[in-house]
Amino acid sequence: MALLEVKNLDVRFAVRGGDLTALRGISFELDKGERLGLVGESGAGKSVAAFSILNLIARPGYIAGGQILFEGKDLAAMSERELRKIRGNRIAMIFQDPMMTLNPVLTIGTQMVEAIQAHRKTNNKEARSIALSKLQKVQIPSPEKRLDQYPHELSGGMRQRVIIAIALLLDPEIIIADEPTTALDVTIQAEIMALLLELCEQDNVALMLITHDLGVVSQVTQRMLVMYSGRIIEQGPTREIINDAQHPYTQGLINALPQMGEPGQKLFQIPGSMPSLKNVPSGCPFHPRCSFATDQCRQVMPEYVRSGNVDVACYEVSNLIEQEKRMQEAGS
Amino acid sequence: MTTATVSRWDRFRESFFWYSFKRDKVAIASFIVLLSMVLSAIFAPLLAPTDPYDLAQINIMNSELPPVGMNGADEAFPLGTDAQGRDMLSTILYGTRVSLMIGFGAVLLQAVLGILFGLLAGYLGGKVDSVLMRIADVQLSFSTLMVAIIVGAVFKASFGNLMFGEIAIYMLIFIIGVAEWPQIARTVRASVLAEKKKEYVDAAKVMGFGTGRIMFRHILPNTLSPIFVIATVQIANAIISEAALSFLGLGMPETQPSLGSLIKSGFDYIQSGSWWITLIPGLVLVVLVLVINLLGDWLRDVMNPRLYKG
Amino acid sequence: MTSPLMSIRGLEKKFDLSGSLLEQLQFEGGRLRRKQEAVHALNGVDLEVHKGEALCVVGESGCGKSTVARTVMGLLSPTAGEIHYDGERIDHLSGKQVLPYRRKMQMIFQNPYASLNPRMTIQQTLEEPIRFHHPDWKTDRVKAKVQDVMQSVGIDADWGSRFGHEFSGGQRQRIAIARALAVDPEFIVADEPISALDVSIQAQVLNLMMEAQEQRGLTYLFITHDLAVVEHFGTRVAVMYLGRVCELADTRTLFSNPRHPYTQALLSAIPKLEDDRPNHIRLQGEVPTPVNLPSGCVFHGRCPYANERCRTEVPALITTDGGTQVACHAVEENRL
Repeated sequence: MALLEVKNLDVRFAVRGGDLTALRGISFELDKGERLGLVGESGAGKSVAAFSILNLIARPGYIAGGQILFEGKDLAAMSERELRKIRGNRIAMIFQDPMMTLNPVLTIGTQMVEAIQAHRKTNNKEARSIALSKLQKVQIPSPEKRLDQYPHELSGGMRQRVIIAIALLLDPEIIIADEPTTALDVTIQAEIMALLLELCEQDNVALMLITHDLGVVSQVTQRMLVMYSGRIIEQGPTREIINDAQHPYTQGLINALPQMGEPGQKLFQIPGSMPSLKNVPSGCPFHPRCSFATDQCRQVMPEYVRSGNVDVACYEVSNLIEQEKRMQEAGS
Repeated sequence: MTTATVSRWDRFRESFFWYSFKRDKVAIASFIVLLSMVLSAIFAPLLAPTDPYDLAQINIMNSELPPVGMNGADEAFPLGTDAQGRDMLSTILYGTRVSLMIGFGAVLLQAVLGILFGLLAGYLGGKVDSVLMRIADVQLSFSTLMVAIIVGAVFKASFGNLMFGEIAIYMLIFIIGVAEWPQIARTVRASVLAEKKKEYVDAAKVMGFGTGRIMFRHILPNTLSPIFVIATVQIANAIISEAALSFLGLGMPETQPSLGSLIKSGFDYIQSGSWWITLIPGLVLVVLVLVINLLGDWLRDVMNPRLYKG
Repeated sequence: MTSPLMSIRGLEKKFDLSGSLLEQLQFEGGRLRRKQEAVHALNGVDLEVHKGEALCVVGESGCGKSTVARTVMGLLSPTAGEIHYDGERIDHLSGKQVLPYRRKMQMIFQNPYASLNPRMTIQQTLEEPIRFHHPDWKTDRVKAKVQDVMQSVGIDADWGSRFGHEFSGGQRQRIAIARALAVDPEFIVADEPISALDVSIQAQVLNLMMEAQEQRGLTYLFITHDLAVVEHFGTRVAVMYLGRVCELADTRTLFSNPRHPYTQALLSAIPKLEDDRPNHIRLQGEVPTPVNLPSGCVFHGRCPYANERCRTEVPALITTDGGTQVACHAVEENRL
């Protein structure tokens, strides 16, 4: 059984003029110690997905259907009280902006001790020593000193390390990291990512990494999901998708990267932009931007088909697979 | 994208502003009350049964008649008469007119001064900012009433009562306007400081546009929302200030009464049982100020960019 | 070699942190002292941009790359140094004299959400600069020009009556580019024009900028933190660190043979699709604050090759045999 299993998750936002569907039929699994990448552009719903796993979706958003099974128990149906035992304890979260998690008027040490004592019965001294060991673990120079410092006294990279230390405090099974390095410089980003990867491997912690950066996903994760307009359009082993993407959107996303283009030549570009939640196109949401779109794409959302180890929601791909099958049958 | 050109009216009807107005019963009620008060004040000469400024229409024999429904009331005077025999309804209509004129006039003056100084201080910064804001601080440290009392007393002494009556309305607009401009200037300055960091201002500078053009054409339109909110509240404040001054005898003369001077003139007769002379204009004043403040509150909620999700 | 279109010489910029005279006074060891602090954003930058090229300035936050852009455009005045455009010094010109350069030099900003005036329609936004710089033009001609420029950046003519907030980030950036192109500039400073945009939109905007360069013979000064973009877009690259240029080379040369240790670290930190693990060069520590600059080479605190000379002597840009200009003692001494 997978550690985390999301089944047919629907998330909606109640706004004036009716509901907006932010996530539609999201299903995926996360095994113990597995590193999963969640890729998509802004508006794809990847942050909503991350927040809804811990049932942290704020009003007007709500979970409209589906299950989020953590060790077989449905988080979507749990009471706030039970959820609190899991949040931060069994499943930890790292946000893009460290200042979202850190309270600017409390010292790092106070905040870490508080986080430990919220879930475990320990005295201050013990809690402090746990905090110290976690700070050492994230390779912060002079960790004793950091415990008595305030968040604003640290640099951006250092703050993100503290956040990771806080996430590790209670030895969680899953870490959900929502664009953890987007606000950081490239060299710092590389270090934080390397650290996160190292820590997850060491303690066999599962990582759900939400990012728009395909390079980072390919460096860190084993499996990835590609999201578009609130749906998963492709999921499978990272290497397989990066090397041979099936869905036209994933292909376009990869080919649009400057590192894929010839210097001085035009880049591959996907026309148009992601639809807003207010007017999601019928059928496959990508069809207005897709060069393979047919009438079928415009009317009905495609089902997932398996190509290699990858699940793709695209008629073009399923047609190709069928064709291949027929060719093989004819051949044999 | 294909969208036909939308008219301003359509744009307004689809806006968050209109949407939240429709849903807020307090705002709608306040707006209706305010609108009817403003309209009846504007059309007072047409609506009022008598002209309280015209001495020929006043009969002293009709003085201190109670409102309709009480013993000794006269059908011709639905809200009764005051000590000089003026019809209360007409006097209140004219009085509201004077109060509103002073309120709007004073805020217009405040806005002109406040926007100009606030823009200059916020956009130019440095010494200009320091000097203007210190002047504003000094100005604010004198209470409006104190300044008004001194200026009013000096005016009254030097022009004499008759002459003073003629210029009283302008003097009140001037005093209240000048005394309260820092309120608006500060608001404007704060939002100019936020706006001038935005890249559209840099883009305008890079285009070579002059300082005046950038300040008035580019930044000012983007600071209008908070100005609008504070101006609404300031109108209520100005009306109250005027009423207070008139009550102290430094405002409008009794021949051209505002709501404040009506309350004052009736105050002497409360003891003799003619409470309506002071109570009815008092109620009108309270309602007027209340609806303006309620509208101001609603505006502030709507225009708060953090709540704004249109 | 022809003379450069834009040349920056010895540019320095300090931002005063200490406030007024009263705020500068501090007690130290029982004595009253005047203490002045400043952010040293630029510490002697020399750059030349040649006609028709795209010079990319790369670096991490706080390296002064945006300050270069803003100083060149006259949004900031330099503390020291000179800026020349087409042979004329422009950094000390007054309001009227600078106007012709305002038309020739334009800027594209980072944040498409803030760079359009929220109270102006797209038509107004595009018309205003044209009317301002061509007061003698008739309305018809202005409108035709707006149509023209809207078409060239691929935005519909019927967008004109709408406001900026009705558009997505990529569309807004197109409008911002249209505004810059409306006055027919020769030289465009682009300050991180794509970093606020999504990947698929970045490609659209980059392509648009390259198209405009081909059609109009534009020269770019392109500021970015994204080295992958540089490799694709730039003719030459200048790498900056703490207000100094540490390496300047042709794009191809820089990417195939980076000389400065910082450039090497920066290149290794780009996450590449073919990587299975992060494999960057690990640097010690973090970027020091530009308030108290390190002595000698600004990079010495994090450099694995630093020696005594690096700690004391500021390295000058030297030209190597490969044509790369690099400011590094280790390279000069052939230690690297």
